[in-house]
Amino acid sequence: MQALADFWRTYQSTVAFAIVNAFFALSTYSVLSAGILSFATVTYAAIGGFVGARLILQTGLDPLILLPAAMAAGALMAYVVALIFLRLESHWMALASLALILIVRVAVINVPSLTGGVNGLSVPVTLPIGVLGILLALAMIVFYRLSVSWYGIAAQAVREDPAVASSLGIAPRRIQTIAFVISGAVGGLGGMLLALVLQFLSPDTYFVNIAFTMIAAVVLGGSYHWIGSIIGAAVFTALPVIAQAFVPHFQEVANGVVLLLIMIFLPRGLVDPRAIRLRRAARNANANANANADADGAPAKVASAAGAAL
Amino acid sequence: MQLFIEQLINGCALGALYALFGLGFGIVFSTLGILNAAHGSYASWAAIAALAAVEQLKLPFLPALVVGVVGGGLLAVVVDQIAFQPLRKRGSGMLGALITSIAFWIILDNLAGTATGQQSLSFPRGSYPGTMFRIGDIPIPAMQLITVAVMLVVTFGLHMLIRRSRFGAAMRAVGWNQTAASLGGVNPRYVVIVTAFIAGATSGLAGVLGGITTHNVSFLLGEGLLLKGFAAVVVGGYDDVRGTAVAGVGLGVLEVMSAQYLSSGLRDGITYALLLTFLLVRPRGLFGSLGFSRP
Repeated sequence: MQALADFWRTYQSTVAFAIVNAFFALSTYSVLSAGILSFATVTYAAIGGFVGARLILQTGLDPLILLPAAMAAGALMAYVVALIFLRLESHWMALASLALILIVRVAVINVPSLTGGVNGLSVPVTLPIGVLGILLALAMIVFYRLSVSWYGIAAQAVREDPAVASSLGIAPRRIQTIAFVISGAVGGLGGMLLALVLQFLSPDTYFVNIAFTMIAAVVLGGSYHWIGSIIGAAVFTALPVIAQAFVPHFQEVANGVVLLLIMIFLPRGLVDPRAIRLRRAARNANANANANADADGAPAKVASAAGAAL
Repeated sequence: MQLFIEQLINGCALGALYALFGLGFGIVFSTLGILNAAHGSYASWAAIAALAAVEQLKLPFLPALVVGVVGGGLLAVVVDQIAFQPLRKRGSGMLGALITSIAFWIILDNLAGTATGQQSLSFPRGSYPGTMFRIGDIPIPAMQLITVAVMLVVTFGLHMLIRRSRFGAAMRAVGWNQTAASLGGVNPRYVVIVTAFIAGATSGLAGVLGGITTHNVSFLLGEGLLLKGFAAVVVGGYDDVRGTAVAGVGLGVLEVMSAQYLSSGLRDGITYALLLTFLLVRPRGLFGSLGFSRP
């Protein structure tokens, strides 16, 4: 029992960071699921984080009450970004969102009255880890409901082929705008949670490294299902901690190596709905025992590979 | 007036670094279709290699520069073959290559941090040409002249290579469509390796020269160059190296001037605002051609 308590004390902060990162990953996934690669999650996080921190310092209210404000700020920013950026072609869009992150950092440094400037901003309150867990559970319910809703199916269609989607009566631009607003709300929420976990914000808190690790977490977890983002974020947060035990001083390097290996050998990520469907189909085919060898060979092979991965 | 001219020269030298770095980054993006986040790490490692050559092997300036440049090129080839070749075979899009390049960016930058002991090192005085030329009252360090001259030569060379040589035609063909290029008698793998080497070598050149002129050899060297070089490539236009050169120098001058006359806090802000404006209003850049698009 004592060992368990020690374990928890040691790794409590890792769990907290994993939960916060899960929000960032979900935010990135939200736009990716509508077929857009955007790094702007960091921008929403920065806005949510600084707005939330400033409100806490000014009003002294409980952070839980102020979370919706951070979400709204992030969502509003995302809406503006969507209006301006969605005109761009896919990879210009990614580059523009990268430029946005760089600009936001400059803005953060130059508005010290709001953000504390280069000295940073300390946030005197925190949230218990249980609350973080509950918030993540709520987010999971929302994302599950979204994934089976009309919107979720439409987003999937837009991701696969915008032209086909619009011929089916789906307006891709509208779906993508909704995806941005969801991404902004979740990102803003994550940003404020990060402020509460770190209890200190600096201009470098929300910078390119978060953007890159989050997109990496989403792809690593599997970008075709929302649960992949959460698993990816957990793996990506836990990995350096685990690696520290084996290769101290090189935990970040280990992170990079694992990311590389996963991308090369499991390009669709750890959670891959297609592989799961194929495996199910293969099992049914085996049960019926009348599938011919050609059709069965390929899915069974994919399924066993996926099985090894899972 | 004297201050203005001095700063103009400083800006040109700084911009030449951005341009030099951006050249390789732009070539990889426009011919191989890879947004390479690890490109800055080549510059850091080239500078570290050159510094090691100077300090450990007591090599003079030119051989040390060659060590850095060849080192950067070889590193780029290794990264390309490990991180991008498996994805290329499978035909997965830009996202996969971006992620593996991020993986290498993490790996190489952390190793670079370890190699330099998390410090900012600098080349010892005397290991590079330190002469100061004077035109009237204006002092011009030899290294700044060398940087600008190297940038001009490399830009001209690359332009001739890409637009006028058979190999350049092969590069553009592979960039357009690998299968069609190999049907046309081009060996895509060879072209890709040489392209990666050229990109890594120019990045290494920028790294070594930048490490000397800014007195900063660390993993931060590559990161700074990456962001600014990226801006130079976008503003100049991806498919023309001359555009990158002009935009790089322009951004360098703009940066130094805005730090001098406006506010040093806005120094990066103006560059990035310009970058975003170009992406939104004129994504093909200053000199990019209209018909350029990647499938």
